[in-house]
Amino acid sequence: MSVTTTRTDLLTIEGLGHVYEGKQRHEAIGRLDFAVPEGAFVSIVGPSGCGKTTMLRCLSGLMSPTRGTVLLGGAPVIGVPRDLALVFQDYSRSLFPWRTVAGNIAFVLPRKQLSAAERKERIDESLDAVGLSAAADKYPWQLSGGMQQRVAIARALAYRPTILLMDEPFASVDAQTRAELEDLMLAVRQRFGMTILFVTHDIDESVYLADRVLVLSKSPSTIVASLEVNLPSPRDQVGTRELDDFVQLRSKIARMIRDQSTRRPSAPAIGDSESPS
Amino acid sequence: MTATDTSWGGVAQRPRRDFRRLREFAARWGALFALGVVWEIAARIADSIYFPPISRIMHRFVELWLSGPPNTLFLTEGVATDIVPSLTRMLGGWSIAVVLGVLLGVAIGRSRTLGDFVEPIIHFVRAIPPPALIPIFFILLGIGNEMRVSLIAFAVIWPVLLNTIDGVRSVETLHLDTGRVFEFDRRKVFFGIVLPSAAPKIFAGMRVSLSVALIVMVISEMVGRPDGIGSVILGAQRTFRMLDMWSGILLLGILGYVLNALLALVESRVTKWHRGAREGVS
Amino acid sequence: MRSVTTSTSHASRRARAGSRSRVTILRGAAGLLVVFLVAELISRSGIVSEVFLPPTSVVLLRVAELLINAEFLSAILATLQAWVIGLAICIAIAVALGVLLGSSGAAYSASRAVIEFLRPIPSVALIPLAILVLGNDVEMKIALIVFSTLWPVLFNTIYGMHDVDPIAKLTAMSFGRSRLSTLLFVSLPSAAPFIFTGIRIAASVALIVAVSAELLAGASDGLGRWMLDASATGNRPDLVYAATIIAGLLGLGINGVLVFIERRMLSWQPALRQTREGSA
Repeated sequence: MSVTTTRTDLLTIEGLGHVYEGKQRHEAIGRLDFAVPEGAFVSIVGPSGCGKTTMLRCLSGLMSPTRGTVLLGGAPVIGVPRDLALVFQDYSRSLFPWRTVAGNIAFVLPRKQLSAAERKERIDESLDAVGLSAAADKYPWQLSGGMQQRVAIARALAYRPTILLMDEPFASVDAQTRAELEDLMLAVRQRFGMTILFVTHDIDESVYLADRVLVLSKSPSTIVASLEVNLPSPRDQVGTRELDDFVQLRSKIARMIRDQSTRRPSAPAIGDSESPS
Repeated sequence: MTATDTSWGGVAQRPRRDFRRLREFAARWGALFALGVVWEIAARIADSIYFPPISRIMHRFVELWLSGPPNTLFLTEGVATDIVPSLTRMLGGWSIAVVLGVLLGVAIGRSRTLGDFVEPIIHFVRAIPPPALIPIFFILLGIGNEMRVSLIAFAVIWPVLLNTIDGVRSVETLHLDTGRVFEFDRRKVFFGIVLPSAAPKIFAGMRVSLSVALIVMVISEMVGRPDGIGSVILGAQRTFRMLDMWSGILLLGILGYVLNALLALVESRVTKWHRGAREGVS
Repeated sequence: MRSVTTSTSHASRRARAGSRSRVTILRGAAGLLVVFLVAELISRSGIVSEVFLPPTSVVLLRVAELLINAEFLSAILATLQAWVIGLAICIAIAVALGVLLGSSGAAYSASRAVIEFLRPIPSVALIPLAILVLGNDVEMKIALIVFSTLWPVLFNTIYGMHDVDPIAKLTAMSFGRSRLSTLLFVSLPSAAPFIFTGIRIAASVALIVAVSAELLAGASDGLGRWMLDASATGNRPDLVYAATIIAGLLGLGINGVLVFIERRMLSWQPALRQTREGSA
């Protein structure tokens, strides 16, 4: 199924499913079919333990799923594709403490294709984009949590991926910082024209940021709904959240997730996910 | 919040614990057995007088120490003359070191002032390589058992002492405050809070000490009056009895392994809460 | 929290730490002085014969004399030479092996029993064997040093490699880094603090083993040999005590140098940050 017909799909997921074998067999993903169009900001929201992390592992090629295919730009994902970058929730564990901020960014830049000057330019540009130009020579542990996550984002930007996957990136920062980082993501998207797939468990955040929200069920996860977000741009932390459309959409999603959480976890028939909105 | 979906690292490693444990067990002892086989074949091919085949070493090992009459559990007289004195002085020296190390460590750890006064001395004395003290111990204590036990105690006290100081100093102030709120007396604070929190570190120090004690025991037995495993090995070398020498080395390896395993067992019993608490956090 | 500390509180903390450390140094010096004085008094008063405990002042004089004695210094150099070479070989072997075993679960569990059995064999028990096979020269010392220092470095390397945060590795892989590159640039630096701890332990063990070998195996040269001669033939307790003090200073010096290198190279490490901030 295609989300929009006007734009080409960058990332296509067909029949994705994953089962962890072992003594406690665990079906993390039931069946997922969706597509992320080029240039779109798609957020995925779901109840706790809905297999979001498993899904991202499969999408980024860090793990091969039990069944189904992932296509990036038409080519199947085998191994970690060059065009993709990932931002983890645990910024403190994903940044390398023995490298400076600039060193952390430099580490991910391909060494052969870029000259020293180009590398420097990339680092400066991405740090500028996240507002941390002054912190280039600091070590990650000298920065606050929010700033560390900015570094992680800058690192992903410097890599120049066509698609950016984010795994609950703002779950461990305080509310004020979270709002700042959300607006940072919108600005970054504008500036670099990237496709973004954003996983979160915060309903407000998913609606505020995205063009489209996918609602996941509990694990084994399937897509319960795919909702288009028609909120005006540029978005505003206070104004946007006051709009009727925003409030209605977030209530609708909240209700779906509450229904998911209270329902007994029974595997929905395959094909259920084909029928949203 | 962080508990929701942090399965990035650990997912793939869950399955079939019992089976894995069995396989690991097999792999471990299989590897050791393989090493023995390699040794045996290599020694037979090389035919060197210095490296006899493992089968002959083991045969001699049994002959020396495990071929006694049934009423002594098959232990030979050699056990009484070689092994028992060695083990006694080693455990004696180690016990002295543990008792003194813990007592001093608690005193120094609890009092900053005392620590300031004695720490340079401790660090200096500790830095002297123990064998370099043998001549002084010779002068002071002669060439007999006292010299050996004191040398062992002196050499192995440092890990216990330093770890105890460190353990006592890093007791959670919140726990001490709790004790103060509930008006614990000094004894209760010490036995109820300070000692249990320092226990994991103290045990770590004791384990290091035990392995050092084995080393110093051998060193101390290679000098002075001949007596114990160390002198058996040295004597065998001097008279070119290679099988006896290798049996002694094998014996020391087994002793080290068993002692370490025993202490690890005790440690896991005593400091069970520590591991549980840590696993709960991570 | 770390980044929130304002400059004023930083400065005052530093000032406080400064006066604190001055008190600590004074007290430490006082403690050493007391020990020296007590030893001097015991010896001078004759409670313990001068043959057993020469007066501290005499011993300190001998220390000064020995430090400019060419023969003694060449003995120290011989010991240090074996120490450096042995340690270098040990690090090269143990780190390589540790990285290999630490990054492969199967290799690790297979090698564990072998390591666990070989490690507790006291290296000094091998002195007789080493004398037989390698004679009583520097090769024998080096072989013993390598055997005994292999374990701490190997164990710490393996442990450090196991302790690498999986997220850190995944991050490198998600940016398209190869396995080798992840190993070299993520796992190895991350394990570096553990490896360094192992090296520090190995450094002091190596010194112990070097002196033991000289003392027990009658090596032709070195500090241990020199002390043996002074105590057995010369009957000079003052020289023995002086040499022992110098051995202690040597141990302290080696440890100090290693701590300095560690602070320099691994200043990013959480456990060392406090000291870095304090001294900055």
